[in-house]
Amino acid sequence: MQKKKMEILEHEQLADDIFRLKLAGDIGARPGQFVQVGVASTLEPFLNRPFSVHNCTESSLTLLYRVVGRGTRLLAQRPKGAILSVVGPLGNGFPRTKKRQAVLVAGGIGVAPLYYLLHTLRAEGKDVSFLYGTKTAAEIVLENEFRSLVQEFHLTTEDGSAGKQGFVTELLPQVLAEKQADIFACGPSAMLRAVAKIATQMDLTCFVSLEAEMACGVGACLGCVVTGADGNYRRVCTDGPVFAAGEVFSFDS
Amino acid sequence: MTLDLTVKIGNLLLKNPVMPASGCFGYGEEYAAFYDLSCLGAIVVTGTTAEPRPGNPPARLVETPGGMLNAIGLQNPGVEAACEKIRRLQPYKTPVIVNVAGNTVEEYLQVIKVLEREETVAAYEINISCPNVKAGGMAFGTEPGTAAKLVAALRPATSKTLIVKLSPNVTDIVAVAKAVETAGADAVSLINTLLGMAIDVEQRRPVLANLTGGLSGPAVKPVALRMVWQVSAAVNIPVIGMGGISNAEDAVSFLLAGASAVAIGAANFRNPTVCPEVIAGIKDYLLRHGFQSVREITGLARTEEEKRRRAK
Ligand SMILES: Cc1cc2nc3c(=O)[nH]c(=O)nc-3n(C[C@H](O)[C@H](O)[C@H](O)COP(=O)(O)OP(=O)(O)OC[C@H]3O[C@@H](n4cnc5c(N)ncnc54)[C@H](O)[C@@H]3O)c2cc1C
Ligand SMILES: Cc1cc2nc3c(=O)[nH]c(=O)nc-3n(C[C@H](O)[C@H](O)[C@H](O)COP(=O)(O)O)c2cc1C
Ligand code: FES
Repeated sequence: MQKKKMEILEHEQLADDIFRLKLAGDIGARPGQFVQVGVASTLEPFLNRPFSVHNCTESSLTLLYRVVGRGTRLLAQRPKGAILSVVGPLGNGFPRTKKRQAVLVAGGIGVAPLYYLLHTLRAEGKDVSFLYGTKTAAEIVLENEFRSLVQEFHLTTEDGSAGKQGFVTELLPQVLAEKQADIFACGPSAMLRAVAKIATQMDLTCFVSLEAEMACGVGACLGCVVTGADGNYRRVCTDGPVFAAGEVFSFDS
Repeated sequence: MTLDLTVKIGNLLLKNPVMPASGCFGYGEEYAAFYDLSCLGAIVVTGTTAEPRPGNPPARLVETPGGMLNAIGLQNPGVEAACEKIRRLQPYKTPVIVNVAGNTVEEYLQVIKVLEREETVAAYEINISCPNVKAGGMAFGTEPGTAAKLVAALRPATSKTLIVKLSPNVTDIVAVAKAVETAGADAVSLINTLLGMAIDVEQRRPVLANLTGGLSGPAVKPVALRMVWQVSAAVNIPVIGMGGISNAEDAVSFLLAGASAVAIGAANFRNPTVCPEVIAGIKDYLLRHGFQSVREITGLARTEEEKRRRAK
């Protein structure tokens, strides 16, 4: 964990409102970890913005983000060569599991950390099925790369403009049916809840990566808590952002 | 020329006037990853109560122009468990100040009683100003008589340094400061957060589950500075100034207004190494202006202003 000044090597728009930002330097992050980025060099906006590690090598850190508000709008304006303040790596990351098969479920910009996880799992020789759902075709990124890397790829859009129409979770039971796989999911919380429910019903191991409003990102401010299945609060930044599904979702069966 | 950065707060001799603000630095361990905590003037740990407190439900924080609102609600493991965490700070050989909170006089006393056994604890910062808990908390800090009674009850329980953390959510902060000074406080620290609120207009509801929260960050600095100026003019005990300090220039302005030391809160969240950077910046300032001791600049803006006025 460190604070680093990192230079922007590449900054490109991949889809509607979605940007890929490549920074110079090694931060030594595992899949599922995140960084806090100072989007402005002035005091406004005041807080750093958390982004998942989209890729990490010995010479670069890549983020994939969607412009949703003030901070991400400012970030999108930072040109190649600009220096950003980055704190990380933060959080626990996805755990390494034993099963040979993995099913990754990405909703919208939740695809960001799963890209890095996918590469890591493939390097370990695992079979990966990738389910990717967005609202509409214009939000899809890196489809060809995903297709070329995985054993099985499914795409859904809510409006039917690409892939199968509907929610990505509708395909999940049939994808899981023929496998002995662990599930890794990142996306909107309604999607994560649906994935967790299917995993619970099928008695499969499932990890979800959560989001919360953050201030410090290091466990000090206690601002980012979510209520766990046991009723106790957990810090998304340090107890997560990755949780076993049963730790943060409960279902009355 | 050697630069003297030391300041005295009650019995404490601090190697420099910079410390993190309570609740913004956990029990220290989180920021130990970024730098050696022994560079700090003091380590101020989070608000600690007699029993464990789960804190408020989420959402607990929201960014606002020039700062943030928080409604953590004093989440802490309780004083017994806190002792273990505090002991881990012993190797830094830096005074540890524990922020003490409670709903009743007895609860404050109970926390102090447990902490009295801890050698690592050098001082107490009595939190009579937390805006985010239902009972007690700020209630002790809004009325001078009630604040004085609490301090008078705690004073005999310890010979360690007793700092009282004041609330800005009052009509007359000077009256509260004077009352706790008379009741035996060794120092006052100010300001705690300003009570505020945010509303999500799309969802037509308050953003924070607690409805209201405490405002901190650059947005509160002018208010905090004014209060430090007024309080330090009215009391004879040291003032620890805070509220919106993000850099050395901010810190120096609090010292010039009358603070003997400063605390840095929310700025740690955006810049985890802000405290050592501020220490270095204060040194630079003193050198640049030919001061030999940081104590020379405490209240200097006020004393020079008084001179100017008398000269007229
Ligand atoms: C651990 C973690 C990893 C993340 N990884 C990524 C990532 O890889 N790519 C990406 O695009 N985004 C990611 N996010 C979300 C990202 O942090 C927010 O989108 C960003 O902070 C919004 O900043 P803003 O100033 O543009 O928006 P604001 O103006 O602050 O807010 C605009 C809208 O975004 C919502 N929002 C703000 N902050 C968050 C947040 N932290 N989480 C969810 N919604 C938020 C607000 O409620 C509001 O509706 C991650 C968040 C967390 C906690
Ligand atoms: C997340 C958070 C938690 C806080 N917790 C406490 C606390 O437990 N006790 C306390 O006395 N003050 C607490 N404060 C107030 C700070 O110590 C400080 O007085 C205030 O934030 C103003 O300083 P700043 O603008 O530098 O943050 C908290 C502030 C924040 C932002
Ligand atoms: S963001 Fe501060 S504790 Fe998680």
